[in-house]
Amino acid sequence: MHSNRYTFLFAAAISVITAILLAFTSESLKPLQEANVALDKKTSILRSVRFEGTDRTVIENTYASQVQEMVVNSKGEEVSGVKTEDIVVKNELAKPVGDRNLPLYVYSGEADKKYYVIPLYGTGLWGPIWGYIAIENDFNTVYGSFFDHKSETPGLGAEIAEKPFQQQFQGKKIMDDDNQFISVNVVKAAAKVSFGDEHRVDAISGGTITSTGTDKMLKVCMEPYLAYFNKLKTK
Amino acid sequence: MSVETTVEAPKATKKEALFSKKNRRALFDPLDDNNPITVQVLGICSALAVTVQVKPAMIMAVGLTFVAAFSSLIIALIRDSIPGRIRMIVQLIIVALLVTLVDQVLKAYMFDVSKKLSVFVGLIITNCIVMGRLEAFAMAQKPWPAFLDGIGNGLGYGIILVVVAVFREVFGAGTLLGFKVIPQWFYDHGYVNNGLMVLPPAALFLIGIYIWWQRSRNTKLVNVS
Amino acid sequence: MEHYLNMFIKAIFVENVVFAFFLGMCSFLAVSKKVKTAFGLGLAVIFVMVLTTPLNYLILEYMLKPGALSWISPSLADVDLTFLAFILFISTIAGAVQLVEMVVEKFTPALYNALGIFLPLITVNCSILGASLFMQEREYSFAETAVFSVGSGIGFFLAIVLLAAIRERLRYSKIPEPLQGLGIAMIITGLMGMAFLSFSGIQL
Repeated sequence: MHSNRYTFLFAAAISVITAILLAFTSESLKPLQEANVALDKKTSILRSVRFEGTDRTVIENTYASQVQEMVVNSKGEEVSGVKTEDIVVKNELAKPVGDRNLPLYVYSGEADKKYYVIPLYGTGLWGPIWGYIAIENDFNTVYGSFFDHKSETPGLGAEIAEKPFQQQFQGKKIMDDDNQFISVNVVKAAAKVSFGDEHRVDAISGGTITSTGTDKMLKVCMEPYLAYFNKLKTK
Repeated sequence: MSVETTVEAPKATKKEALFSKKNRRALFDPLDDNNPITVQVLGICSALAVTVQVKPAMIMAVGLTFVAAFSSLIIALIRDSIPGRIRMIVQLIIVALLVTLVDQVLKAYMFDVSKKLSVFVGLIITNCIVMGRLEAFAMAQKPWPAFLDGIGNGLGYGIILVVVAVFREVFGAGTLLGFKVIPQWFYDHGYVNNGLMVLPPAALFLIGIYIWWQRSRNTKLVNVS
Repeated sequence: MEHYLNMFIKAIFVENVVFAFFLGMCSFLAVSKKVKTAFGLGLAVIFVMVLTTPLNYLILEYMLKPGALSWISPSLADVDLTFLAFILFISTIAGAVQLVEMVVEKFTPALYNALGIFLPLITVNCSILGASLFMQEREYSFAETAVFSVGSGIGFFLAIVLLAAIRERLRYSKIPEPLQGLGIAMIITGLMGMAFLSFSGIQL
């Protein structure tokens, strides 16, 4: 049996070594990691407008030349003086709707077509899920979507990050004929619902909680943007 | 709490061969006779979580083998200086440190790989195979056998994972490693994917049946647990 | 009050750690041969869960979250240590388990021997770490965390005692020899899991 003194010293030594190693790696690798995260965000935004490229410089260039960043609020006004990269969607969601800064990414495609990309953030089964959804300039049709997650179950919840699930969203509508917000609903294929097929996509079988989380995330994150969209529509 | 004091390395009379009979056993026993999942009952949670498809099952198996081998090696190297009363914290800190470091490095240099693996980080740290082998083997053995034991257990775990995942992917989704294997003709004539296969209970049934098959072939395992 | 009662029931039945999330499977299957040992392990899990989840909540709230350190000095308000959450959570749990191990070894040596390696393995019983991570992810308040941890612990206790009871009866059934023991326990757990799925229809 080791003495108490030894035990304490050993514990202290292990803690110090671990702390130093962790702090050192996390500090020295931080710039690289942050650059990767920033690039990943740009890639995700471009994926939602059906951009497929993987090359680093192509992504940076496309993003710089074709995506315009802006911030709006739930009253439909443009907010100046706030940069999109300073906004953490998670923190904004914790505020009352009226106080939120809403980042919006406008992608100019070919032939003057504009797509409005809304960032999404929500909770899956094990951890956060997030994504981007691109709306066409009729402010109704979904052009594309991209989802990602931190730790959903591979093969089940994690399927939201795969193409088959994401492609279902293309061409869906978020508003009904009376211009009421219906969102795109993630529901089981067999579920009977009051809205038409253009408002629903199939949930992932076996990934119920992640699917419900995605459904909720879409509704909660898209709704505050409607005021701004309505304003653009009447212009 | 007797684990760390029981085995004092015998005063080395002659140098042991790298792959002596004992060392070979440390490596190969976990593949069947002492399989971590079906005999030692370790690492079941992750076996249910990652076996819906074959690909994550393989990634998980490789990751776990790596972590089990190197944490066993490190623990075996410092086994005599670990105070018994805080041994579990020390073991876990070493495992967690190893996994976190690898994760940080991947995040900086191979971001795409790290994104795919981040799901597994938590699963590996809390995988009871790693800690189970540290407690039961590495704390009382020399580094080299401990390292082999880590590899063996990782592989034994991987075998079950891949077998279960093949069944679940083929019958649950009609694909294998993402490729369609069940022909469209079947679907046209009324075949449907088995929805049960994607749910966790299916993995339990399959492992149960695997145990049945394994023990009817290897009768000395009957009634071990 | 009703909110807490709902959470409590939900944590025990609807979101049972074993049957809904399939966490803590290893000790669940390995230590469920007899009701008596299952009872002991169940109690140990409740104890560790109830001790560590609120403790981890305090660690997260007052040490790790961005701005959490401002009680020491306002200049530390920007420090975000959440990347340490995993390691600290698991250290708390390992510490608590070590404590339980010493107590059990001292007062009930019989139980200590029966639990064997599965006592230290409570540390990596993912249901306990899972409870801490759920608490962080769902942003529970302190009171909610406390209720949730008691509920989850009881959920595990209930599950393991149930399975042990079934396995004790199974000893009198004619099961093919190679399937006896672990094999049939796995299959029964699967069936129980499917039965518990029906709780998910309850809206609380």
